[in-house]
Amino acid sequence: MAHILEMQVQSKWNNSFTRLNRGEPGIAGLLSFSQAWKTATGFLYPRDLNDPAPRPEYSIHEVRTSFELLSKAKMLPLLMENFLEDMRKQQHLIERDIHKYMAEYEETDTPDAIARMLFRLVEWYKAWSPIPELGSILLSAYTLAFQTHIYSTFPPSFSRGFKQLIASTFSLVNASCPPPWALPADPQPSTSAAPARPDLPLWSACEALGLLDRYESLIASVCYEYIEAHVMETCAKKWEESMLTYLREWMAEKVVPWMVMPYARGARTAEEARQMLQGVGSRFDYHVCKTLCDLRLQEIFDIIVDFPDSQPALEDLKECLIRVDQRSELVRTLRKANKKRLLHPGADTQVILNQYVSIMRCLRFLDPPGVLLYKVADPIRKYLRERPDTIRCIVANLVGDGESEDSIVDENEPIQPLQQRQADDYNDPNWEPEPIDAGPDFRTNKPTDVISTLVSIYDSKDLFVKELQVLLAQRLLAVTDGNYEKERRNIEILKIRFGEAALQVCEVMLRDMTDSRRIDQHVQAQKPMPLHPTIISRHFWPPLQTSSFNMPGQFKEIQDAYAKEFHQFKPDKKLHWLPHLGTISLDIELQDRTVSAEVPPLEAAIIEHFSTKDTWGVADLATEMKIERAAALKAIMTWVDLGVLKEEDSGMYKLLEVAEAASSSSKPVARPVIEDLPSVLTVQQQQAEQMKVFWKFIEGMLTNLGALSLVRIQNMLKFAPGYDRTIDQLAEFMEAARREGLVTVKDGAWKLQR
Amino acid sequence: MEMEEKEKDNETTRPSNARLEVCDQRVKIKKWHAIAQWRWDTGNNDPEDDGEGDVCGICRVPFEGCCPSCKMPGDDCPLIWGECTHVFHMHCLLQWIGTASSKQQCPMDRRPWVTAERKVD
Ligand SMILES: [Zn+2]
Ligand SMILES: [Zn+2]
Ligand SMILES: [Zn+2]
Repeated sequence: MAHILEMQVQSKWNNSFTRLNRGEPGIAGLLSFSQAWKTATGFLYPRDLNDPAPRPEYSIHEVRTSFELLSKAKMLPLLMENFLEDMRKQQHLIERDIHKYMAEYEETDTPDAIARMLFRLVEWYKAWSPIPELGSILLSAYTLAFQTHIYSTFPPSFSRGFKQLIASTFSLVNASCPPPWALPADPQPSTSAAPARPDLPLWSACEALGLLDRYESLIASVCYEYIEAHVMETCAKKWEESMLTYLREWMAEKVVPWMVMPYARGARTAEEARQMLQGVGSRFDYHVCKTLCDLRLQEIFDIIVDFPDSQPALEDLKECLIRVDQRSELVRTLRKANKKRLLHPGADTQVILNQYVSIMRCLRFLDPPGVLLYKVADPIRKYLRERPDTIRCIVANLVGDGESEDSIVDENEPIQPLQQRQADDYNDPNWEPEPIDAGPDFRTNKPTDVISTLVSIYDSKDLFVKELQVLLAQRLLAVTDGNYEKERRNIEILKIRFGEAALQVCEVMLRDMTDSRRIDQHVQAQKPMPLHPTIISRHFWPPLQTSSFNMPGQFKEIQDAYAKEFHQFKPDKKLHWLPHLGTISLDIELQDRTVSAEVPPLEAAIIEHFSTKDTWGVADLATEMKIERAAALKAIMTWVDLGVLKEEDSGMYKLLEVAEAASSSSKPVARPVIEDLPSVLTVQQQQAEQMKVFWKFIEGMLTNLGALSLVRIQNMLKFAPGYDRTIDQLAEFMEAARREGLVTVKDGAWKLQR
Repeated sequence: MEMEEKEKDNETTRPSNARLEVCDQRVKIKKWHAIAQWRWDTGNNDPEDDGEGDVCGICRVPFEGCCPSCKMPGDDCPLIWGECTHVFHMHCLLQWIGTASSKQQCPMDRRPWVTAERKVD
């Protein structure tokens, strides 16, 4: 390298001798040029900072004169090349320092070494920097060469260390004591009135070394991570207060002052600083919103579980969603969470309904037009539609089932008629185009109240009405104390929701209740009896379970006596007992004890038989009572559990006049005395019964036409008289038939099992 | 509870109850809540009938249902007996008799309609 340079110099020498000599006599000009070159190169020579020998002194006048002379001779470019070459030769000195500090950093893993290294590099930079008089070209060439060199010397671990160092500056914003790497001799600018920031020298050093530009995105990422860490630490699971306001205060207090250093250090006034920070400040505010938004989206399922306590979190999320478009992410996350945590066989229907209602309320709050809700609700609705007890569960909520603590019915919500889905009405003055991310199936005029939305899971409200009738009938038939005020109130409310006509039969039920009471009062006045029947109007109550047995002995006598009194009171009417329904509370008086029990009529009938003959075989008793053997056995077991009957030989049971000492074989009373057998057929049972009529048609169809799809079967069944089932109901029925082994299904085609 | 008290009083004071206590009952009924249906006593209905029951010849609705213009069955929508032994919802028959084409005849047998006295048994 040096050799080539000398060659260059020599060839130029010949060409420019005249120019160098400047017309001086002999070589006098040449000699003075040589002296100037020596002075200039000597002055510029990059010296070793670590060399304890004193730097050679130069008279500034002599240096200036030399540079002027070289400039006149147009030798400055050559001088520059020479200087940069000298730099290259000396830069191993800097490398040595860098390696020393980096080794220290890697050993301690604290960024102090990095800070000290940066300060040291600034010293090198300043020491080697040519004086400004040599022009900006030389200075920028020098700076570029210096920076290029140090960047290429930094080992890969530098980024990590530098990041740590920058991150440590956040704690300095309001710090009173200086950081460990602060230079003790660092002269503080005395002009500033405010106390200087301890991190100012560091930022100055970074700027001098060009690190602010080169590591701009790294510095921003430090701030992003700082924000993220703070949001996670302070906001996770904190839903009961607005965190966004707090976060913005925190930004103003902690982050903006920090930002002044990397982004607005040159500002002279507050206004200037504000303007310089505007762009980057908005980026960081966006990041706050984005981070909080991401956090809340991760938590969204539980936020909804906690609603309405979590309302403030939703308010934050709503604001974030305006700033950060994460709507599709919200839909994706919530759908995924619902699928995992809600829509599985282990979850109670009531739990699913509660969460669905909370989802409705939360998403309506976030997005009043309902696009988000529509997209999230779809799988929930499909899932609920497939659950057999959904309608019953909704209906139980509607009539205030005492069992579940949290009802889906909001007491504060006004009771209103069901909203049914309507076609788009473009003449509606309030019509608005659908939101941009709505998708083709979305309709803005969906029902918005909770009950209407739930009912609209199904194609028609008829199933609900039927289920309501069943539930109210069960409730009313269970009333033994004459108090059915709650049911009366329920029916009034349901009339508003479902319409008078749908609840007409319930009106008849209520009147039957009133009439029964009036009749009973009359009968008891004529002839007091322990029997108090609820007398119902057939055709107006849902189908009841049937049975063929009759009450024996004294029970029959009481029934007859009551019926006789009734007929006298209402001569054009007769009573028709439904003997298996109701409850009887009785005492069984035995030799050594009295057993009290409240039992269904069948149990009472059984024990009545034992009072006339103390030993019975199950089969004989079943025949005597005209009931199934299994039913007889079940009723007998009730009394065995109560210690009234005992099995003697297999199938023979005996009345225990004297109680037996509890033996190890007799198990404690485990089963409830009264099982809550629903005396009213459920809607499902009713439909299954009715569907059986259509089985003949289906069977004929499949026999003649082979395998058929559900749609074909449905279309052909429409020709059957009285067929009014939906395809979903048909699907349910076919599925049941498949379970019974009547049909098989393959690729959607149903055929008879042969 | 009240009923129970009354019951005990009656056992001692009212001899008419004795018939229900004929044999030495081991089983004492304290309270019995039962379910029954009411039926019109048309004189010819089958007590074992659990189905729809007989229907009104005019509106084809069961007797224990109500005629198309009523909402409440029973006393509010009573039956009417003809001497011809045909039975209808009273409202259905009155409406029929009110039409010119009825010629005041029973719609089933076209004999002049004469309402029967209901015997109370
Ligand atoms: Zn009629
Ligand atoms: Zn009527
Ligand atoms: Zn007639």
